[in-house]
Amino acid sequence: MNQVVHIANKKDFLKMRFLITQYIREFFWSEGFLEVETPSILKTSGQEPNIQAMKVVAHNERHESFQGYLATYPEYTMKKMIVAGFDKIFTICKAFRDHESFGGTHNPEFTIIEWYRNGKDFFALMDDMEHMFHFIARRLEEQGYPVPANLKQSWKRSPIPGLWKQYAEVNLDNYLDKDSMYQLCVEKGYKPEAGESYEELFYRIFLNHIEKHLGNDGPEIIYHYPALMASLSKRSTRAPGYAERFEAYYNNIEIANGFTELTDADEQLKRLEADKTERARLKLDDYEIDNEFIDAVHQLPECTGNSMGIDRIVQVFTGCKNIDNVIALPMSRIFNS
Amino acid sequence: MGDTTEIRKGAVIRMNGELYVVTSFQFVNPGKGQAFTKTKLKGITNGKGTEMTFKSGENVDVVQVDHVNMQYLYKSGDFYSFMNQQTYESSDVSADILDDDAKYLKEGLNVVASVHDGNVVAIELPKKITYTVLRAPDAVKGDTASGNVTKEVELDNGHHIQAPIFIKEGEQILVNTETGEYGGRVTE
Repeated sequence: MNQVVHIANKKDFLKMRFLITQYIREFFWSEGFLEVETPSILKTSGQEPNIQAMKVVAHNERHESFQGYLATYPEYTMKKMIVAGFDKIFTICKAFRDHESFGGTHNPEFTIIEWYRNGKDFFALMDDMEHMFHFIARRLEEQGYPVPANLKQSWKRSPIPGLWKQYAEVNLDNYLDKDSMYQLCVEKGYKPEAGESYEELFYRIFLNHIEKHLGNDGPEIIYHYPALMASLSKRSTRAPGYAERFEAYYNNIEIANGFTELTDADEQLKRLEADKTERARLKLDDYEIDNEFIDAVHQLPECTGNSMGIDRIVQVFTGCKNIDNVIALPMSRIFNS
Repeated sequence: MGDTTEIRKGAVIRMNGELYVVTSFQFVNPGKGQAFTKTKLKGITNGKGTEMTFKSGENVDVVQVDHVNMQYLYKSGDFYSFMNQQTYESSDVSADILDDDAKYLKEGLNVVASVHDGNVVAIELPKKITYTVLRAPDAVKGDTASGNVTKEVELDNGHHIQAPIFIKEGEQILVNTETGEYGGRVTE
C-alpha cells in the first residue's frame, strides 16, 4: 500500500497537475498551435555532456535486436517536422534522463512541453510563456485554487551581461573566451582545473554569485548567453559575441530553456562534434551524430523553440519544493519504497 | 579529497581552512548547462549557516569522520541525549543538528552518528523505523468508495502520519524516514 498512500497524500497536488496539463493544451490550441507526437525511442541521442540517455533494446518479429535510446528531449524530431512543412507545433511528451537524482528537483522520467514558431525570434516565445502562465493562473483561480500574486504579473527580462555587472561586478564583454574567463575565475578565488570548458568556468561564477538572485520576486527570463554556450541557438546580430538563448527562473530553479534556432548546418555539426569530443574527454557514452538531423538543419527555416518541464511548472504553481510531490509514482516510490 | 558525489547530509567538508557540516544538498542538472550541487552548510566552530554551490565533479575536500553506533535516550531542553554503544558514554546533540529528523526519534532507537574531534556533527537515521500505532480512528465504511484510502494515525513517539485505513491501534508499522511516508506493516 506504500504507493497508494503516496498517491493519496499528494492527491491535491496531483489534481492540480492534471488540470495544469489540460490548461497548457487549451492555451496552445487557443493560440492556433497543432499538437504533435514524437517518438520516445530513438536510434541515437543528443551530444550535450550533461545529458545521459537510457539505453533500450527493441526486437522485431524475427528477434533481431536494435540498440536505441529513450528520448532525452523531442527537439530533433520537432525540427525534422518543421523542415517537412509543419508550423506552429507543440508536443507534450515524456523525456528520460539517466544519472539524475530520484527526487528533489529531478525525476529521471519527466514531462516536457515544447513548442515552435516559424519566422519568429526568441522574444515571441518569452511572450508565449508569460501568456501561458497567466492563462493557467486564471483557470486555476476559476476552479478555486489560490495562485501566488507574482505568477500573475509580467515577467522580468534580464540580459545576462547586465546580471554579471550587477551581481559579479564584471563586464562580461571582456570575458567571452576561455582564457580570459579562466583568469577571471582565478581572480575571484576559484581554483579551476586546466582543461575546463568555457561553460564550466562561466558557471563557477554564475552559480555562486548570480543564480541565487534569479526569480525571487516572480518568474525571470535571462537571455543572451555567451556565444560559446549557444547550444542549438543562433548567434545574435544585435548583441555580438552572444547567442539568442534564454532560460527562465523561478525561486532559483530553471523552468525553461529556449532558442532562436540555429539554421546553419555546418555550424551545427561543428558544435555537435565539439560536444562529442567533450563527452569523450569526460569518458561518457559515445552517441553517433544524427546525420538526418544535420541534413534537416540545412533546410530549417528561421524559427524559434522553447522547452519547459511540466513537472517544474506544477511545482511553481503548487509551491512544492520536491518534484516527488507532483508525480503519481516518482522513481523514489517505484524503486525505494 | 573527494568530489561532489560524496556530498551528503552529515558530510564534513573543509573550505578555506574552515570545517562545515552539510545540512542539506540538492543535485541540479539543467541539461543544456552545467550540472551542480547546491549545499547548505553549517560552520562547525561557529555554527553559522552558509550556502555553497559546487559544479558536478569538482574536487571537494571531504574530511573523514568517525561513524559511531549510538542509541537515543531522552530529550532535555534543546538537547537530545544519545549513548555511545561502545563506550557507554552519553553525548548531547543540539536540536539544530537533528533539525527535522527529531520527530522520528523514540527511546532506544539505534542511529549512526558522525563524530568529528569528539563532537557529534550529524545523525543518520535508519531508512525505516518501526513504531507502534498508539491511536488510529476506526475506518468509516464507504471511505474507500469516496477515495479516502488513508487516515491520520498517532505513533508511540507522538508523531502523526498518514497510513492506510486498515491500520489498527496496537499494530506495528514502518515509516520511511527519507520520505516521511508510511512504509508498510511489520509482519512477523
